Amino acid sequence: MHTIGQVAKIYSLSRSTLIYYDSIGLLCPSGRSDSNYRLYSDSDLKKMDKIALFRSAGLSLESISLLLDKEEDELKLALEHRLFSINSEIQKLRDQQKVILTILQNESASRHSRVITKEVWVSLLQAAGLDQAGMQNWHIEFERMSPEAHQDFLESIGIEKDEINAIRKWSKAGNN
Amino acid sequence: MSNEAMNKDKWVKLFREIGLDETTMKQWHMEFEARYPEGHQSFLEWLHISQDEISQIRSL
Repeated sequence: MHTIGQVAKIYSLSRSTLIYYDSIGLLCPSGRSDSNYRLYSDSDLKKMDKIALFRSAGLSLESISLLLDKEEDELKLALEHRLFSINSEIQKLRDQQKVILTILQNESASRHSRVITKEVWVSLLQAAGLDQAGMQNWHIEFERMSPEAHQDFLESIGIEKDEINAIRKWSKAGNN
Repeated sequence: MSNEAMNKDKWVKLFREIGLDETTMKQWHMEFEARYPEGHQSFLEWLHISQDEISQIRSL
């Protein structure tokens, strides 16, 4: 059996969180010590593992509470539902990013914008005399010299994840 | 944009690697300044270049 302090330590939670979980019936310790302290069994810990996992997936305590008693299939469904809503939140943010970049890119705004977009870069590199092959070379060298900065850079000019992955993939291949 | 990994020396090296010479780089800065002055400033800050040097580059 484990005391509340031990369990709190294992999961990096506060004791008050565990007491709260007990009060809402999410995780009730199976036993009590002689002095009436909460004692958690191994199967309580197994349940806590699941709670921690679902928390990290962003599920509410309410849905976790419902999920813990459910069959595997229903669990899968609930997680798929959560994944779907995460994806649509990401999409929403992407769309907002795009709108913002478009606004900042408008001719009147762009001269005074601190935001550098993909189009700005391409036009500047072209002005420096780089053609398609030269720009590819630039990515290849960038990836070789500093993969992390390459990623940061591509994100900062508003390129989408899939395209970034593709660019970095052929950049890496070009290094060989 | 956070930037731990990139600095001026690396950037210059990157441009040299792909065959840009001193003259082209200078031209590139002038182009950048003419078209997107604020973007130029923020790019130079991103490379951790001091304000004095930034002013110097921007007045090329």
